[in-house]
Amino acid sequence: MGLELNRRSFLNAAVAAAGLAAAGPLLSACGGGGAQRAGVGSEAALRAVLPAYVPNTSIKPDIPSVTGGPDVLTNPGFLSYPADRVATVSGVPGKNGKYSAVTPLWGTIPPAGNAFYEAMNKALGAQLEMKPADGNTYNTIIPTMTASKRLPDWIQLPTWWNSQMNVGGLVGNQLADLTPFLSGDNIKKYPNLAAIPTAAWRTGAWGEKLYGIPSFATGFQIAGALYYRRDVFDAKGISADQVKSADDLMRLGKELTDAKSGVWAFDDVYRYVYTAFGAPLKWRVDNGKLVHLYETEEFYAALDWTNRLATAGYVHPDALAGDNANGNTRFYGGKTLISSGGTGAWNLADLQSGRAANPAYRRGGLNFFAADGKSEPRVYMGAGASIMSYLNINLKPEQIEECLAIANYLAAPFGSAEYTMVNFGVEGTHFTMADGVPTATEAGKKEVQAQTYPFLASPASAVSSPGGDVVTKDYCAWQTANVKALAKPVFWNMNISMPQAQATADAGQQVEDAIKDCYHGKKKVAEVREAVASWKTSGGGDKLIQWTNDNVLQKHGTGQ
Amino acid sequence: MTTTTAARPDRTARPARQNWRVRLRRDRSLVLMTLPAVVLLVVFNYVPLFGLVTAFQEYDPLAGVWHSTWAGLDQFQRLFGDPLFWNAVSNTLYLSFVQLILFFPIPIALALLLNSVLSSRVRNLVQSVVYLPHFFSWVLAITIFQQMLGGAGALNHLLRNNDIGTWDVMTNPDTFALLVSSQVIWKEAGWGIIVFLAALAAINTDLYEAAAADGAGRWRRLWHITLPGLRGVIVLMLVLRLGNALTVGFEQFLIQRDAVGFDTADVLDTFSFYYGIATGDYSYGAAAGLFKSVISLLLIWGANKLAHAFGEDGLYRT
Repeated sequence: MGLELNRRSFLNAAVAAAGLAAAGPLLSACGGGGAQRAGVGSEAALRAVLPAYVPNTSIKPDIPSVTGGPDVLTNPGFLSYPADRVATVSGVPGKNGKYSAVTPLWGTIPPAGNAFYEAMNKALGAQLEMKPADGNTYNTIIPTMTASKRLPDWIQLPTWWNSQMNVGGLVGNQLADLTPFLSGDNIKKYPNLAAIPTAAWRTGAWGEKLYGIPSFATGFQIAGALYYRRDVFDAKGISADQVKSADDLMRLGKELTDAKSGVWAFDDVYRYVYTAFGAPLKWRVDNGKLVHLYETEEFYAALDWTNRLATAGYVHPDALAGDNANGNTRFYGGKTLISSGGTGAWNLADLQSGRAANPAYRRGGLNFFAADGKSEPRVYMGAGASIMSYLNINLKPEQIEECLAIANYLAAPFGSAEYTMVNFGVEGTHFTMADGVPTATEAGKKEVQAQTYPFLASPASAVSSPGGDVVTKDYCAWQTANVKALAKPVFWNMNISMPQAQATADAGQQVEDAIKDCYHGKKKVAEVREAVASWKTSGGGDKLIQWTNDNVLQKHGTGQ
Repeated sequence: MTTTTAARPDRTARPARQNWRVRLRRDRSLVLMTLPAVVLLVVFNYVPLFGLVTAFQEYDPLAGVWHSTWAGLDQFQRLFGDPLFWNAVSNTLYLSFVQLILFFPIPIALALLLNSVLSSRVRNLVQSVVYLPHFFSWVLAITIFQQMLGGAGALNHLLRNNDIGTWDVMTNPDTFALLVSSQVIWKEAGWGIIVFLAALAAINTDLYEAAAADGAGRWRRLWHITLPGLRGVIVLMLVLRLGNALTVGFEQFLIQRDAVGFDTADVLDTFSFYYGIATGDYSYGAAAGLFKSVISLLLIWGANKLAHAFGEDGLYRT
């Protein structure tokens, strides 16, 4: 992800954890209510309406993307900010329309009607009334808006909350169908939107129709990875490339843990390591039979390993006490040396925070490995985007076109004139160029929030960390080294609406709780097996598997 | 909380029933003063009662209360067949009991202790210091405990460096009840003494003087004057505590749930949260909440009856 999104540390612990859910199939619950629901549509029909993909070639990255397979692509890297900020939109996109927009914001809400908003309105040629809302409580305010049918004209609904916000029930009822405007070649009217990879549009599709406008699309969408303190490893003469199996990692635990000095090798890692044991992300098809993660032996092998990691004393006690919020602090302070998390954590803000604690700080990513050390390393891909905005169904067609033209402006590629305006504001007022890098002024820091306009539409993700090129280089190199490991999970990028009973079983709260206790060393693997057994019968697990088989696998295939 | 006990009108002294309009005119300033509280109560405590209907539905937020499918007692049937629910009930009762034994006497003892301190400067200082933790959030309180007693905290660091072996305080399910009780004591005991101090101040000092003149020592005065003077308030607090037996706190357990495991830390409120709200299964959560309310109502009624049996006013008289 680009610096602009992350410099105000967008992915806090809560979001990173929530983003994990986005890696599976995108779920949305639907109850027995009368509202019309959109579920998975026919693959062929969806293919027919997906927008054409026309990559933008006007700005060349320093580190180009590497393709790893269909829909798999590393993010391009920029070591310098493009000097000639090319304009990609001629004239103003708007037609003096007036629209309200609500987006989540993890940070300080900028003052309403500020100079940046005004400058943006002028550049857009429309009155876009931005109403950022606190991201931490965003999932609780949206249901009240939808219940009273009072959504704004333009709304951001992060996909990891699809289920909670019932997006599957909202599309076509309260959210506008964009298919007539964007399908196939229609999108070419909006060239910057056309440069967003197809997988991201698929994430915003419900049934056989397009609804969502993706932000921060990426071809390298994964739940996360294991990270290590590269500076400490280097100083100890340990090469992270030597970690090729689960045993290797366990040995590192013994080598690195020094409890007397307050250093433990690991923070919580289970969520990002279980698939290394060959366990599926959530679903697998064995000889045509649909199998849930909880039914696989690989899942128990992963649990057993993480349980041993905890009981051997290689995991920081605070992590075992469930304190995830301070995970970064422990990592920066060198109290833990191997941690895990979403890839959004790897950015300039991270480097700055880490260096504040230790000037030598350098984050490294462990390459994906197979637990047995022999199989092909594999990591499952998430959906094409997790930030998705929607237009209100009450907008007239010409209003939708105006909003899409605005979205096209917002989606201008990294380094373009429009991108600079959206992400940095007005030169001289909100930012100045220092060493070729746009640097925010005091007004810029206050008014130009990365999570406002780009949450309505943005170009595909690029890696850039001005002043911290080591991050860009490390991150791009790590992506390139691992791009071959990315694989599509069963039901990849499919939006599934399921009845409440199935959604409850899918959340599997009682099993997830037992899993957590197991990798914290408090429960034995056998106790998780018991929890799974009761989940299958009284928790609705068997019914969930049956339902998913009948309604998704048999009708729509695996989506891979 | 309630303040209905404050002043019971003396029925015998009142003249014949007055016209309500006359009474309204007489009491209008009092009525006006209580109006905001009544409005608050109606809006936040009575109007939401309507939402209880979702406990008998397959509630779907999108369809709304009016259009959700009627489920009758299905949710309750599910609830009563759920071992996790009964686990939460037994945890709640157990923690409530431990807290009653360990926590309840502490503010009374503290109040008596403070009351016997003569220097008002010392008294004010101690009072301020023990009040303070009440204003901390649970997140902060538990962080402090974790920093001090956690596996990587000050205590264990000291033990480890002296090769004494570590003491698992924060993540031991077996001693969790003691841990949470001590957290409650640390955080709330100071706040809890306010009401007892007020009651102590209301005791007529002449009684002490008279008793002292009659040769009663410190303990006799405590037993025959102070404690009887406090009895009404103690019983009142006990009734309230029993009525709230199923409410042992929420954040405290939410935060420490991962530390000791859900089967130790899940209380009714966290159960409703995790298995109702967090998984979008609102009706199930509502059913668990309604169950809790009904039991609480019975408890408070029972405790009040018990208080009457002991000749105390309790919470209310009918």
